[in-house]
Amino acid sequence: MTKLLKQFAKVAVATLVVAGSANLALAADKEITFSGSGGVVGKVSKEVWWGPYTEATGTKINHVAAEAKRMPQLEAMVKSGNVLWDAMEVSASDYPLGVKKGLFEAIDYSLVDPDNQLPADTREEFGVAYAAYSQVLIVRTDKLPDGKKMESWADFWDVENFPGPRALRGRAEDNLEFALLADGVPAEDIYKVLSTEEGLDRAFAKLDEIKPHITTWWTSGAQSVQLLSDGEVYFCPSYNGRITTLVSSGIPAEIVWNGGAMHKSYIAIPKGTEHLKEATEYVKFRTTSADRMREYVTHLPYPGWAPGLFDGMDPKMAANMPTFPANQKVQFSASAEFWAENLDAIQERWTEWLLQ
Amino acid sequence: MNAKKKFTSTWLLWPALFMLVAFFLIPTLDILRASVYDPEFTTKHFAKLLGSNVYLDVLWRTIRLSVIVALICAVIAYPISYFIVQRPRKQQIFFLFLVFIPLWMSVLIRSYAWMVVLGREGMINALLIGLGFTDEPVKMLFTTGAVYVAMVQILLPIQIVTCYSAMTEIDLDLMRAARILGAKPWQAIRRVFLPLSLDGTVTGAIIVFMLSMGFFITPALVGGRKDIMMANLIEFQVQQLNWGFAAAISIVLLIGTVLCVIIIKRLSKILIRRLVGGGHA
Amino acid sequence: MIERDVEFGASVTFDGVSKTYGAVKALSDFNLSIQRGEFVTLLGPSGSGKTTALNVLAGFVDATEGDVRVNKNSILGLPPERRNIGMVFQNYSLFPHMNVFENVAFPLRLRKVAQDEVKRRVGESLAMVQLNDFGDRMPNQLSGGQRQRVAFARAIVFEPSVLLMDEPLGALDLKLREAMQLEIKRYHKQLGCTILFVTHDQGEALALSDRIAVMGEGRIVQIDTPDRIYDEPNSKYVADFIGTTNIVDFERGPSSIIRFPALNAEFELQENDKSWGQGQNSISLRPEKLHRDISPSDHVIIFDASVEEYLFLGNIIQYSVRTTTGKTLLFQEHRGPSVPILARGESLKLAFSINDARPLDEGTHGSGHT
Ligand SMILES: Nc1ncnc2c1ncn2[C@@H]1O[C@H](COP(=O)(O)OP(=O)(O)OP(=O)(O)O)[C@@H](O)[C@H]1O
Ligand SMILES: [Mg+2]
Repeated sequence: MTKLLKQFAKVAVATLVVAGSANLALAADKEITFSGSGGVVGKVSKEVWWGPYTEATGTKINHVAAEAKRMPQLEAMVKSGNVLWDAMEVSASDYPLGVKKGLFEAIDYSLVDPDNQLPADTREEFGVAYAAYSQVLIVRTDKLPDGKKMESWADFWDVENFPGPRALRGRAEDNLEFALLADGVPAEDIYKVLSTEEGLDRAFAKLDEIKPHITTWWTSGAQSVQLLSDGEVYFCPSYNGRITTLVSSGIPAEIVWNGGAMHKSYIAIPKGTEHLKEATEYVKFRTTSADRMREYVTHLPYPGWAPGLFDGMDPKMAANMPTFPANQKVQFSASAEFWAENLDAIQERWTEWLLQ
Repeated sequence: MNAKKKFTSTWLLWPALFMLVAFFLIPTLDILRASVYDPEFTTKHFAKLLGSNVYLDVLWRTIRLSVIVALICAVIAYPISYFIVQRPRKQQIFFLFLVFIPLWMSVLIRSYAWMVVLGREGMINALLIGLGFTDEPVKMLFTTGAVYVAMVQILLPIQIVTCYSAMTEIDLDLMRAARILGAKPWQAIRRVFLPLSLDGTVTGAIIVFMLSMGFFITPALVGGRKDIMMANLIEFQVQQLNWGFAAAISIVLLIGTVLCVIIIKRLSKILIRRLVGGGHA
Repeated sequence: MIERDVEFGASVTFDGVSKTYGAVKALSDFNLSIQRGEFVTLLGPSGSGKTTALNVLAGFVDATEGDVRVNKNSILGLPPERRNIGMVFQNYSLFPHMNVFENVAFPLRLRKVAQDEVKRRVGESLAMVQLNDFGDRMPNQLSGGQRQRVAFARAIVFEPSVLLMDEPLGALDLKLREAMQLEIKRYHKQLGCTILFVTHDQGEALALSDRIAVMGEGRIVQIDTPDRIYDEPNSKYVADFIGTTNIVDFERGPSSIIRFPALNAEFELQENDKSWGQGQNSISLRPEKLHRDISPSDHVIIFDASVEEYLFLGNIIQYSVRTTTGKTLLFQEHRGPSVPILARGESLKLAFSINDARPLDEGTHGSGHT
């Protein structure tokens, strides 16, 4: 019996020691938990963002690779009051959902962006846009008719003046917007038009025109690159980052920024975090550190709007950035809200339309 | 003694039974559950599915494509398997090895390979233009034909192997018997070898059919606008996190597949009976 | 039961047929003439070329050399289906997907025989093998003997000119085998067809055949009627293969003395006795040709031996005896009231007539006298 007690005491002491040292460690270095993309993005972020952040502030970043069902998870955390994440990536379509359900802390812009340098449309009440990618028209310049230049979706639709095989992505998103732009709808009115039944019909009617000239409807970014580089198609929208692959393999290709669909990603702070201060600090770091961001875009084509990002960036590279002011100006901002609401219904109509 | 024996033999079946339940029955039931509970009991997914032309249209296209792929595979694999079975043992292994090689490459890579072969600036068009048969590239890629070619190429090894293993069961002396009894080579094949190997061929075709029913990468990569498969719709719904609706489509696909398999089996039985009893002349 | 008035037999001739598989000579200079209606058996050990000979005749295997004629016409250019030959395979080779009726009807259907004629002839054939009521059965619902009969009915229903049987009874048990042997004999009588039969069971060959061709290494070592093959084997090979026998070595002494060292005995050849030729140095001595009670004469050789062991074979008793030089011989006699059984270790004098001793050629390359 005494033996057993002794054993027990030993275990208890050991437990206390271990627990104590862990507490000490926590007290020494602060740590925040960040829920973000895994894979390559996670790997590059660790190097470019989290390491330097810890160096600069002493706060460690504990990364949790994001899963598909993040919003239900966040909702459960906030409701139970046991919030494990301090900051998180939020897709454009999830952002309005989180706002509606009150899952985010309001952003304190007096801390994040005291000099008001971030563009207004990146400063949302409950999140800050930190990165963007675009779906833009990519053109094989060697396949263009002599002396002509493709400059808009109207040109893409103009099969007389710009003959040659074309492709589109096999989903409704962005394509309906492109069709309306080609039909002469001003960029700022696209979603207003699309929200009406007639507007939707108008988009599909415009798509009817181009349908017979579309060689294929791609399903992955890699496929779109393949199509362009094989000469399978001459004109094809794709993600802006893909141009690098094409150009570096010697394919004469160019982005048409005009009419591009820009998709933003947000960083937000879960409501009820215990490390609000550190989390806000990280949001500031992630959205406004120009040199970090400049480094980041050499690895991955997702730039943000950090003030001074393009100062000292290779002009060639800058020209390929969706957030480069000249590029951003001519693009439209893809509406995640619209698609979150309408995708199901529209996609069904889209599939039906494809099969006709 | 007898009872004990019985006990041991059923006991030996338990692990297999457990695996079947764990890996097939439970997931299937879970999908079924997901299609009608969201989270309360609801038929809205099925109502939506059956209320729109799109899903049944795509189901029909999927079935049609899969049946044709299975038929082409069966017709091509049959003579190849027959050829292999007739070889000496060592050569058989060699030929089977050849058949197996493409199985080691992923479906994705093989689909991309077909893009390289069939494309506008691909190998075949380069050849046709080089030989002066045509000035403009022929459109082969992004057609339903390309889907058939690629899927048949991908699934053919499976058909050959099933067909071949059924053929190895056939005593080749039966062919000799048929010949000496007066059958010309083709008659021996038609009246003896074909009926005896048809079961294996049908089994192979059913496997190919079922695999085709679930294909989506290949049709998406090499097919045309209308080559949309049920699996593409499921994939889309899964991406949208519409689990319930995705489950409902899966259930419809499953039911469609099972019904087709039953019909194929019935038809093949009739065909075998025709081959055996038929041709009294 | 039907008696056929049409004999559908034909004569068959193998003329110097050879078949080589790479280095293996499955048949080498194989010669055989079969009369119309004759029952000839190819008998030989495994690998001696029996099946190959049948396959050449059936058209499944092309001869490397030589010719095969049926009724004096070469058939080598014809495919199997045009040779009009019936064949019963060792494993029956019934079509598993057809019932008994359809199996037997198969050759008739291919010959486009009218339906009622098909019915009549299949009925006749099945009646002959006593399976009239089995038409609807599938092959896997039949016993081994029944399958064998169906195979036979199928092979004869189209009245082939020759019937080939490759170890047709090999898969049956002893009793069934003996019963089927009798049946086959009966069919042969009824049909009068030419039969080329293959077996490696010498008893079967002796029981069934008009003539037996003993094969070794792709050729015929000896061909003759069963009794002559038994009584007068022309070589050690044949003597060993057919029945049981004693092989006793001999040597030639001065003038025409023949000595048996193992028996410690000798005799002098008569002037006119040519059967003890050159190149021979042993005799075959059947166990039943040894006797205990024989009076000495010029033709009789007597030697001493002692009983080692004995074996009851029903009405026959077989002793194994040891000569004074230590050679073991087999000796058989009929049991009877006047023939007392010898005890183990008992000494005795044994004798045989030199006319019952058969001088043997060495090896398998006998002269093959037909
Ligand atoms: N297809 C073949 N390829 C190579 N060798 C063969 C072939 N068929 C037969 N042989 C060889 O030819 C020889 C004779 O074979 P065969 O089948 O005629 O013998 P068999 O007398 O019928 O023997 P068994 O009593 O075992 O049936 C054997 O050495 C055999 O190995
Ligand atoms: Mg054999």
